[in-house]
Amino acid sequence: MFDTSLSWGDIVFLAQGAGMTLAVTAVSVIAGTILGIFCGVIRVQLGPYWSIPLTFVLDIFRSVPLLIQLVLANAFQSIAKLGWPPFTTSCVVLSLYTAAYCTEIVRGGIDAVPLTTRRAGRSLGLSWWQDMRFIVAPLATRVSLPSWIGLTLGVMKDSALVLWLGLIELLRASQILVTRLQEPLFILLICGAIYFLISFPIARLGGYLEKRWSPND
Amino acid sequence: MRITTAAFGLMAAITMVSTAQADKLDDIVGSGTLRCAVVLDFPPMGSRDASNNPVGFDVDYCNDLAKALGVTAEIVETPFPERIPALMSGRVDVGVASTSDTLERARTVGMTIPYFAFEMAVTANEKTGIKSFEDMKGKVVGATAGTFEAIALEKQVKAWGGGEFRPYQTQADVFLALSQGQLDATVSTSTVAQANVKTGKFPGIAVVGKAPFDIDYVALFTNREEYGLINFLNLFINQQVRTGRYAELYEKWVGGDLPSLTVNGVYR
Amino acid sequence: MFKYSFQWNQALKALPQMLDGALVTMQIALLSMAIGLVVAIILTLFRLSGSRLLRGFAVAWVEIARNTPALFQIYMAHFGLGSFGIHLSPFTSLLAGIAFNNAGYLAENFRGALKAIPDTQARAGRSLGMTSLQAFRLIVVPQMLRIAFLPITNQMVWAILMTSLGVTVGMNTDLAGVTQALNARTFRTFEFFALAAVIYYLIAKVVTLAARLIASRLFRY
Repeated sequence: MFDTSLSWGDIVFLAQGAGMTLAVTAVSVIAGTILGIFCGVIRVQLGPYWSIPLTFVLDIFRSVPLLIQLVLANAFQSIAKLGWPPFTTSCVVLSLYTAAYCTEIVRGGIDAVPLTTRRAGRSLGLSWWQDMRFIVAPLATRVSLPSWIGLTLGVMKDSALVLWLGLIELLRASQILVTRLQEPLFILLICGAIYFLISFPIARLGGYLEKRWSPND
Repeated sequence: MRITTAAFGLMAAITMVSTAQADKLDDIVGSGTLRCAVVLDFPPMGSRDASNNPVGFDVDYCNDLAKALGVTAEIVETPFPERIPALMSGRVDVGVASTSDTLERARTVGMTIPYFAFEMAVTANEKTGIKSFEDMKGKVVGATAGTFEAIALEKQVKAWGGGEFRPYQTQADVFLALSQGQLDATVSTSTVAQANVKTGKFPGIAVVGKAPFDIDYVALFTNREEYGLINFLNLFINQQVRTGRYAELYEKWVGGDLPSLTVNGVYR
Repeated sequence: MFKYSFQWNQALKALPQMLDGALVTMQIALLSMAIGLVVAIILTLFRLSGSRLLRGFAVAWVEIARNTPALFQIYMAHFGLGSFGIHLSPFTSLLAGIAFNNAGYLAENFRGALKAIPDTQARAGRSLGMTSLQAFRLIVVPQMLRIAFLPITNQMVWAILMTSLGVTVGMNTDLAGVTQALNARTFRTFEFFALAAVIYYLIAKVVTLAARLIASRLFRY
């Protein structure tokens, strides 16, 4: 059907690009989530007033375009002579970016746990840690998981921007092939299809969990 | 004269070593690898072959440089905007990336003597009927963002008044836009224009003439304060021309009249 | 501490140029939001309609917009459509890409908001003699916009951030485009981009604050 000069080697090249996209996403989401949970709990514990500095810093990552963040971080690491390869820089920026959003999700999740439930737990003699572990964590996870899945997918798509730093991820791999083969539409469609195939099933899972776990639906 | 400079550089280097202050040249020789920043969507200077490995004039030039230093070469692909951050962060040692030696840039990085020179050519989409540089007046034109020709062309478009200038981030995007008809014409280095037209992958575009811009001399670059390395690079470029290797590489990748790398009537 | 010496005055000299760029950025963001809102409402209507074709179209739009990168969508609007001979200027491609993205996300938000509006209201409207389109326009849409106000604000901030992707399709008049042009000419990446980051941050904050003011005005009752 398609008269194309796309070879198997090129398909492998695209797959490697997709692998890079997944690797960057995995590292950033894991690191970002850990940091996000940490910051989210701190925010709830400190209350809105005392956590203003933290909120302010995290807010920056949500109010400046990711592309600008990446370029700026890369310029900074070069000035500071950290010698980070693009992969590290990309992961650091994306992790902080993820953490900024994750903090809000975690905070929302914790806030959704009725205070009375927690008080009941505490009055039964649970320590703060036990309260967090056995009451807040399970309930908050239910509330937060759909948004967290949404965030993960968002980071996966936003990771396309790391091509600016010279990392060959899925979109960059397709651009390289477009340059060589001059079949922009066909190759871009394949690239879009790969993104869709990765993202869509997970998005559906998120939607399913949301439906299943939301109390009055 | 150049030998004396080189000797001075060598002496300076020796003094620095004796005070246990290794400079970049020592670092490269010591580490055994030379990392070059090369732009790989800029054929024939840099591109990828059928198995997606880097090839091109700049790639060969980097390999020669590594051989001269007695080390192995490592090609680090950098998109145009990434060349300088890559250098500043120490991810690469030298840029072999067809970088125009403008004074504005020399405020930030250290440029060598020219290692290549481009003439500027106008490439147009045949449908537009553009036959010369002047025909571009009032048309939609574009070039690779931040390059010598982009800056000159943008200025020209403003001087003409009317028409539109569009910078794209890669040379590949410029030709893609041109063959799709998004752009009516572009000014690029004639070597790059000819190489792209020759591939036959862009139907309907042709090189239609020269652009009356100054010759675009491109230099190798490294950190501004690395005089030892810059001296070595200058001598290396001189030797490439002297030994005929420059002509050989030019014939291999470009072909035609060998551009002169000297400017009449002035020292560098 | 660093071997690099910062040259801020160069960046500050370019500030007026960058602020002009910020205006273009705002213009694209606002236009893309306006188009996105209208299209999203139409898509929502399609989803509610009986026609399988229209429903399928709306679902496909929403899923593609939400499951591929914005950068991909913008690139596609420029070079993808270009191979069909449809030539959009960088401004239009960027606008089309972001509006496409906005419409998809907003339509999904509206679907959630719709759940909160009881059917009985639209039916009550119908029994008062409204056509179904009237009932949708006069009863459902106002409430939908109100419930989805926060997500709409968030999408607006997103739209502003997404405009920075225009540089990949030859955009040179918006804030990111101007910044990148200055950077390419002088190689002073950090200074210019730091200034751009501050401007983007301020724009995003002003928009959020304005939205809050509007909300407190509109939703007093």
